Amino acid sequence: MSKVRPAKLSRELARKVLEGYGEVAGVQCAVLFSSDGFEIASHAADAAASARLAAIGSSLAALGTALAGEAGLGDFERTTIESNGGAVTIMRVGSSRSMSLAVVAGKDAVLGQLLWATQRCCQALAKLLDP
Amino acid sequence: MSGVEAGEFKIVFTGPMGAGKTTAIAAISEGEPVRTEVENTDRVAHAKESTTVGFDFGRITLADGSVVRLYGTPGQVRYRFMWDILGRGAAGVIVLLDASAPGALVQLDVFVDAFIPHVAHGALVVGVGRTDVPNAPSTDAFAARLDARGIVAPVLSVDVRRQGDVMMLVRTLVCILGSHTAHGVPA
Repeated sequence: MSKVRPAKLSRELARKVLEGYGEVAGVQCAVLFSSDGFEIASHAADAAASARLAAIGSSLAALGTALAGEAGLGDFERTTIESNGGAVTIMRVGSSRSMSLAVVAGKDAVLGQLLWATQRCCQALAKLLDP
Repeated sequence: MSGVEAGEFKIVFTGPMGAGKTTAIAAISEGEPVRTEVENTDRVAHAKESTTVGFDFGRITLADGSVVRLYGTPGQVRYRFMWDILGRGAAGVIVLLDASAPGALVQLDVFVDAFIPHVAHGALVVGVGRTDVPNAPSTDAFAARLDARGIVAPVLSVDVRRQGDVMMLVRTLVCILGSHTAHGVPA
């Protein structure tokens, strides 16, 4: 029996989208993952790192969903963790809750640009999901 | 640091995927628990439809007025980082297992090893479900497994859908904690 995940999404196409997005200033790596924490595609992250980012990212997305719901604010869209060394943004892909994108960026990234580019990337990934 | 305040403490429910952690907390929590379930895409690991990837959170008030915060962990090893986050400051741990699942005895070792460092004075209780399934190990087998490693902890047969069964686990753990009040753990 095979796993249910990325039924509709080509990993190769998703990886290409992430690769193009990797050109954005300051972006260190990006991982597309299922809501239950499996890596689907990644850019510039080794297997162990992307597996860990996928698991932690899925927990944050789930906690974001729980918090937004608790506050009566509807669906989770994105969250950004800012630290002194840079930022990690986790953004939902498309309208489904099935996958999210985590992007790690260094200090040299401009947060506004990062969020805008991440959104564009998620839109491109969503089109792959549901053409 | 124990993280334990007088009259309020934290218990962690852990165990492998499908052992019933979310169900157990929902069975006893006062009010609707916080859940972080998502679609389970790994039906090889378990056939269930959804799985917890953040944590469950509920609370109960005991007869003596103390408040117990109940946290449930994700079961998959890839969420090990959450085990450590949730284990920190726990007064005690309840390990839930499905006796009919393959490798249930090995799973006992995995979760005991992960959580024993977080709890003082062996504040650990094991709840085993589905021991009635043919060829499933008995509660005695789980107890013997712990005993062989020099760990003393009660092993109870439970149906996590039953409030009474889950409360029995909590009360058993609270009794263990109560025997260590001298160490700052609430009765």
